[in-house]
Amino acid sequence: MPNMIEIKNLEKSFGDNQVLKNITEVVKKGQVICVIGPSGSGKSTFLRCLNVLEKPSAGQIIFEGQELTHISEIELNKLRERMGMVFQSFNLFPNMDVINNVKLAPLKVKKDMEEEATQKAGQLLEQVGLADKAEQFPLSLSGGQQQRVAIARALAMDPEVMLFDEPTSALDPEMVGEVLKVMKDLAESGMTMIVVTHEMGFAKEVADQIWFMDEGYIQEKGAPDEFFANPKTSRAKEFLSKIL
Amino acid sequence: MKSKKIWITLVILIMMLLVPLGKVNAASDGYLQKIKDKGTLVVGTSADYPPYEFTVKQSGKTTYVGLDIEIAKKFAKDLGVKLEIKNMNFDSLLVALETHKVDAVISGMNPTPERQKSVDFSNVYYRGKQYMLINKKDAALYKNIHSFKNKTIGAQAGSLQYDLVKKQMKNNQIKGLAKLNDLVIALESGKVNAVAMEEATAKAFAQNNTSLKVINPEFNVDSSQTGSAMAFPKGATSLVQAANKTIAQIKKKNLINKQYIPLAGKYMTNNSKKNSMWNYWTYFAKGIEHTLIITVVSVFFGFILGVLLALLRLSKSKLGKVIATAYIEFVRGTPLMVQVMFVYFGIGAVIQSLPALLAGIIAVSLNSAAYVAEVIRSGIESIPAGQTEAARSLGMSQTLTYRYVIIPQALKNIWPALGNEFITLIKESSIVSIIGVGDLMYQMQLVQSATYKGVIPIFITMVIYFVMTFGLSKVLGYFEGRMKHA
Ligand SMILES: Nc1ncnc2c1ncn2[C@@H]1O[C@H](COP(=O)(O)OP(=O)(O)OP(=O)(O)O)[C@@H](O)[C@H]1O
Ligand SMILES: [Mg+2]
Repeated sequence: MPNMIEIKNLEKSFGDNQVLKNITEVVKKGQVICVIGPSGSGKSTFLRCLNVLEKPSAGQIIFEGQELTHISEIELNKLRERMGMVFQSFNLFPNMDVINNVKLAPLKVKKDMEEEATQKAGQLLEQVGLADKAEQFPLSLSGGQQQRVAIARALAMDPEVMLFDEPTSALDPEMVGEVLKVMKDLAESGMTMIVVTHEMGFAKEVADQIWFMDEGYIQEKGAPDEFFANPKTSRAKEFLSKIL
Repeated sequence: MKSKKIWITLVILIMMLLVPLGKVNAASDGYLQKIKDKGTLVVGTSADYPPYEFTVKQSGKTTYVGLDIEIAKKFAKDLGVKLEIKNMNFDSLLVALETHKVDAVISGMNPTPERQKSVDFSNVYYRGKQYMLINKKDAALYKNIHSFKNKTIGAQAGSLQYDLVKKQMKNNQIKGLAKLNDLVIALESGKVNAVAMEEATAKAFAQNNTSLKVINPEFNVDSSQTGSAMAFPKGATSLVQAANKTIAQIKKKNLINKQYIPLAGKYMTNNSKKNSMWNYWTYFAKGIEHTLIITVVSVFFGFILGVLLALLRLSKSKLGKVIATAYIEFVRGTPLMVQVMFVYFGIGAVIQSLPALLAGIIAVSLNSAAYVAEVIRSGIESIPAGQTEAARSLGMSQTLTYRYVIIPQALKNIWPALGNEFITLIKESSIVSIIGVGDLMYQMQLVQSATYKGVIPIFITMVIYFVMTFGLSKVLGYFEGRMKHA
């Protein structure tokens, strides 16, 4: 499989606080990577560096052969179209209904025709099981429903990779399943995904690789079966013993 | 050698610019010719000073009358031009003259040496005594300037009387107000014990208000300082000469005593006969119209400019940030009244034809923009960062993000604050009355001086302002409710 994202010597500091310390990794096309690790270890920052919502302090991000850390704002906008992102707090636009949340970027960024955008948004809502909620406003939906709309919204731009930052952490437990189901379907359809998560069941079942992050490094990585059965580093052992 | 020649030429040129041409040759100062060319003589006055100048309503229209106005009419006629009267605060008259907003000032003005430093005066056309107006019930107490130990005396700010009180009644408090009407109200309500004013004016007030009485307090008046004269821009010798010719004719025929004062007296009694407020509803209607025009236009431009300032302040451009911040802080740190005067007299000095209404609108818009900018900025900053991140992660540019995600949400949040600003403007715009814009506040002053009634016009004006602001807040509340449902 060809490389989709290459991360080379990535570093990120906020003032004196160095959050990411020299990360070099590769994500291959079609892979599902689950990033796990303790709170404050830099997982969100890492994910946000990948689509340059956070500008790396040093190192390179190479997405399908193109280097991202030194390009213009306009090129960056173009690249972000191809990388979908889903946030812990959904971040739906409360001033428009569900279908317009999904259609907004295709209409304004891709300049799709209205009809085409509506049709596609309808399909995506169907795919996440929310076809009947198209005309509702986000704040009238449950958390699980909002997060599924957010996934549909990201998919509407036809991204080549999807970044998830703890998509189920803000949800009531009974809603976690419906979101994970959508993500699992997406993984099975061949989407490249990088998922920061605390859902170990999902990681075990869906991930091709687990990246264990702590103190700004990827301390350990491996196939889920092996990682969960036999963590090699003491940090990973300690982390797993706490959460399992 | 050559450079020396250039220097000499330069010096001569500069001297020619510095020396007012009128001093060299009276006929060629150009002032008189300019007025004849444009066909109109613009005269500034402060029309709250009967019998010199005041307003009456003639077939529904506000007309300026009084002995000064008659003189101005004759002067214009002698010049063969039309007369245009500009009404403003007494304090503003000389500034208006210096900044060429008016060609001449005739407003019962005394040619004091201080004033002569900044303007040129005609010969004195009328000399009255300096009187005082007191409450009738105090008639036994107050006889002359020495019977007012530790009392408060009112006088029009910037007037000769103010000066006299200050210099000759050192044991007294002095209260200076811009409008005689306000001083008379202060007298009636006991805020001041007497108001110093010119003889004819004092008599006019007493004649129309039975609770008041005039006394001659026997100020020690230097005759060179009393009397009324017309004022002209410094160096306008051709105008002064022309005015003196007119004044000489008036004096020869004794027109002031024989015609002008009796005529003014007739207007005054007419005024006081029909001084029911109902006769003046057109004044208030005009005032409401102007107040609304100023407010609506200023809200519109203030909003547009405010959005631009807010975006500039939030932009990445350092220079833009500094400019916007400096503007906002400066405007919020200075009184609207000063800004209004600065626009009218300052910018008006560069653009001569800037009408007072436009100047008022510009000043209020510029002022409002600063406040609106801050409201919008806080509205934008109140939108969670996640909204921007979500939009940017979809490939939306900064501009698209603002346009479709941030601004619509921010507007919804700040709608009440913007509505408040609108309501505030209705009230604050009353300040423009000082430059003679015919808003509600200004019309109120006209009605006061026309009817000799102080409090009732204030009360009516207050009620009108309240109805406007309350009505508007209801309308805004209705839309706010609808936006919440959207
Ligand atoms: N914008 C920022 N400015 C300053 N410090 C930041 C910023 N964003 C993150 N940090 C710091 O970087 C460190 C890592 O934060 P990050 O959010 O990446 O951790 P995380 O692994 O995602 O944690 P969690 O599991 O709690 O989400 C923390 O110490 C945090 O305080
Ligand atoms: Mg995080």
